[in-house]
Amino acid sequence: MNGVAHRVFLSLGVVSLFACSARSEPAPEWEVANDQTPRTAAARGLRPGGDTTVLLGPSPSLVLPAANLDDAGKAAFYAGKALATQPWVRAPTLTDARDGLGPLYHARSCLACHVKGGRGPASDPNGPGLATLVRLSRPGRGPHTEPIPDPVYGTQLQPQSTALSHQLRGRAGADSYADQGVAIEANVRMSWTSQPFAYPDGTTLALQTPKLELSQWGYGPLEEDTRAALRHTPSLAGVGLIELIAQADLERAADPDDRDGDGISGRVNRVWDPEMRTMRPGRFGLKANQPSVRVQVAGALSGDMGLSSPVFPDQPCTALQPRCLAAPTGNDAEGFEVPESILASMVFFTMSIGVPPRRRPDDPLVMRGQGLFDTAGCGDCHTPRHVTGVDDQYPHLSEQDIWPYSDLLLHDMGPHLADGREDFLATGQEWRTPPLWGAGLARAMHARVGFLHDGRARTIEEAIVWHDGEALASRVRYAELGADDRRALVAFVRSL
Amino acid sequence: MSIAARWSSGLLLSLSIGLIGCGSDDTSADTENTSDTTSETDSDSGPETESDTDTDSGGALEHDLDLLRQVLETNADIAFAGYSDSVATAVLLQTTIDALVADPTEANLEAAREAWLVSREPYGQTEVYRFRASPIDDSNYDAGDGEDGPEGDINAWPLGEGLIDYVVTGTDFGDDQVGVTDHSTGVNDPIPDNNIINSPNIVIDAALLANTATADDEHDVIAGYHAIEFLLWGQDLNADGSADTVDSRDSTAGRRPVTDFASDDTCTSGETVNADPDPCNRRGLYLQVAVAKLIADLEGVRDGWAAGADYRAAFTTVDDVDAAKGKLLEILVGMGTLSEGELAGERMQISLSANSQEDEHSCFSDNTHRDIWLNAEGVSNAFRGEYAGYDSTLDGSDNQTGNAVDGYGIDDYLTDLGLTDVADDAAAALATTETNYGAVDSSARAGTPVDQMILDAGADAAQPMRDTIVSLNAQSAQVASIAVALEVGSPDDVVDPDASECDTMDPTVEC
Repeated sequence: MNGVAHRVFLSLGVVSLFACSARSEPAPEWEVANDQTPRTAAARGLRPGGDTTVLLGPSPSLVLPAANLDDAGKAAFYAGKALATQPWVRAPTLTDARDGLGPLYHARSCLACHVKGGRGPASDPNGPGLATLVRLSRPGRGPHTEPIPDPVYGTQLQPQSTALSHQLRGRAGADSYADQGVAIEANVRMSWTSQPFAYPDGTTLALQTPKLELSQWGYGPLEEDTRAALRHTPSLAGVGLIELIAQADLERAADPDDRDGDGISGRVNRVWDPEMRTMRPGRFGLKANQPSVRVQVAGALSGDMGLSSPVFPDQPCTALQPRCLAAPTGNDAEGFEVPESILASMVFFTMSIGVPPRRRPDDPLVMRGQGLFDTAGCGDCHTPRHVTGVDDQYPHLSEQDIWPYSDLLLHDMGPHLADGREDFLATGQEWRTPPLWGAGLARAMHARVGFLHDGRARTIEEAIVWHDGEALASRVRYAELGADDRRALVAFVRSL
Repeated sequence: MSIAARWSSGLLLSLSIGLIGCGSDDTSADTENTSDTTSETDSDSGPETESDTDTDSGGALEHDLDLLRQVLETNADIAFAGYSDSVATAVLLQTTIDALVADPTEANLEAAREAWLVSREPYGQTEVYRFRASPIDDSNYDAGDGEDGPEGDINAWPLGEGLIDYVVTGTDFGDDQVGVTDHSTGVNDPIPDNNIINSPNIVIDAALLANTATADDEHDVIAGYHAIEFLLWGQDLNADGSADTVDSRDSTAGRRPVTDFASDDTCTSGETVNADPDPCNRRGLYLQVAVAKLIADLEGVRDGWAAGADYRAAFTTVDDVDAAKGKLLEILVGMGTLSEGELAGERMQISLSANSQEDEHSCFSDNTHRDIWLNAEGVSNAFRGEYAGYDSTLDGSDNQTGNAVDGYGIDDYLTDLGLTDVADDAAAALATTETNYGAVDSSARAGTPVDQMILDAGADAAQPMRDTIVSLNAQSAQVASIAVALEVGSPDDVVDPDASECDTMDPTVEC
């Protein structure tokens, strides 16, 4: 693994360091958007996040402030980043804006899993697989068509607790306190099994599928028909821009009953918004099961870190976990570990993360790959371009010409990727098209890359080959390409 | 056309979009052969030649390799001096802790607290060496395999004090205390979580405190300066230890009673008198283990900067101007990142935004005004190529000058290259910051420490904090201007020639 990333050894910051100078430079001529001229930069998606597009510098990162953020916005960005980066600690402490972790949790900071803001590292067979979590659900759907939680373990398995014996696990003497404090829900490990894929030209590719290994149940064995589903950490890049896409634009592309007969449906999920207490279109999360960045952030604070907020005010404990319920909280006078001001700060940070630039978009190999991407029909779901609307709170995200390469709709991806979990309207085989922003930077974030919902694909090529269901025709067209063309198409995706 | 020429020709945006992280124009010929790892050699040698040509023909900046080497050597000298003083003051802290444990008197507790404050004086100035692959963050100059340096065990924050020792509970900080007397296994279910001091079976040793670098999510922060700070001061509950409201708190720091270290039947845990001295003995042991580990960790960092050490050699040995510019960029990235993102943003702005009294760096001792001063001073040191030593009397002036450095700074290099305006602008920005952090320091010394300044972000008391944030951001812009003026901003300039069978930033290469 040494020597993988010779350009990565400077951490953070060079982008913000240079952004101001960059903004003061006159814009290059070609940068002027002109939709009538297909060769302009804007028309080719050379600035994937519009004016938010960052300068990458020697240290790639997906947690850099949008390039067009003003000074006050940057200060607010870094304040939110501190909350997303620095570890939350178990309550009580004096720093009451930082305590309240758990008692049951998955990770102690956002960026522990969203490493440098990007996709999480794939699970190490010998490690805990921090960046992949386990969702639980019972058969059927709840009153709002949401998944039904397990009565003992809730909606998500939390493999960590603030108990002394767990925090200090492996240290001399810690085991003798194992009966005290809040037990972890289970120990989560993943193992991988290999299976071959053969291209028509005879080339083979070894694919891998994950196997979940759960042990050390803290509250008794799981009910037999409770379903466990893996969820791998997605990238944070551009979620604020996605929020500003008009819903009508997404609905227009949807074709739930495949009326045009192209084999591709595209469905908008309808999900419960716990704050507005109404059903709303979903567009965030691997199954488009979250209505907004705010609810997504609050949901992660609650489910992943055990932090209560105005959106999700409860502790991560079920009625059958009395010690968890009785543990000290970090709640303030209003009953929140993450009060509104802190939540708003974290939402602003998440929304305002800049999108990385293309790398080598003019390289002949990349250009050829772009053409093949189009002819293979990849863009039927990985919709290249959107335009954001206007939001007074986020002027830097408003009216931007953006290139996420996603329709943000649900698609049936076939049985091999299916995990059977129904999530509001989403069936057990449907997944949201993920944006491809920064896909090629995954390897620059960490050595163990993991694509797709459970992190099974180690390369973009593997991810493409896993496509099935509505994407089968495109995958077949890809597989039938010659090796050079396949490499070109992958190079294009890596340039995004 | 070289990258450097592009920077100076004003096409910064096109550079960022088209060429960042790429082998630049010269690689189009080898794109068909994408798996050819030897192409790295070609692209390394190619730009150098081109760069020389541009420098000659374009009349662009003429770098001086010998002077650049002086900048790097000075930067390394200051690092070695700062970390040497950090080790020395940590050893003095250890002496006072040993004395406190042996004889827990008020005088010895006060001496240990003062030694801790002194130990922060040199260390705070070294934080400018973070945010680059230097020994504090990275043991082998390669962040590609994860940041494995000891920083997390030296200076991490916020502390998980509830995992270490008793703490008060409740949002109003009433007189509840968690983990004070709970020595035995639980008889009630549920029971409060326990802590290390009050769990006698937990062996207190260096391995307990260490957070392995590969599992940064392992446990709450329980090591380093702030763990020692917590054990010396206790939670900052102020005069009567009973309130957390704006009106009822005063400007004093934590007030852990010295009887918390008594090794007899007077042993306390705050207001609670213990039946036996075990918690007090364990507190003393924890302090001794924590300071020993701190010293060892600091020594490791210092040794990386010693003459002849692998890291220092890798940093200062540059064969050509491009390599030297890459190292200079590392210095500037550290300066800019500490100024804006870290100090102004993640340390100061968040404490203002959170409106939470103890949301500050050194919350137990109320020493955050020094953290701000010293972090900012470190940036200034790097610019001027000077290190004035540290302050062992805590009066605000550096009197320990044995390791002081007066070297060849970035300002000197700018001046020698005729970029006097750039040097003057940066110096002016740093001076403004100095004025502003001086006002934060004065406020704290006059009785309004940072934890009171931040209570209302809009109040007059917070003005020095707000001013410092603004000026830190402005000085970061000046650091960026230095990078532009010196044409060091290209990623190709910081390629490590020894690395890389694979360029993770290049979409045409499969890693």
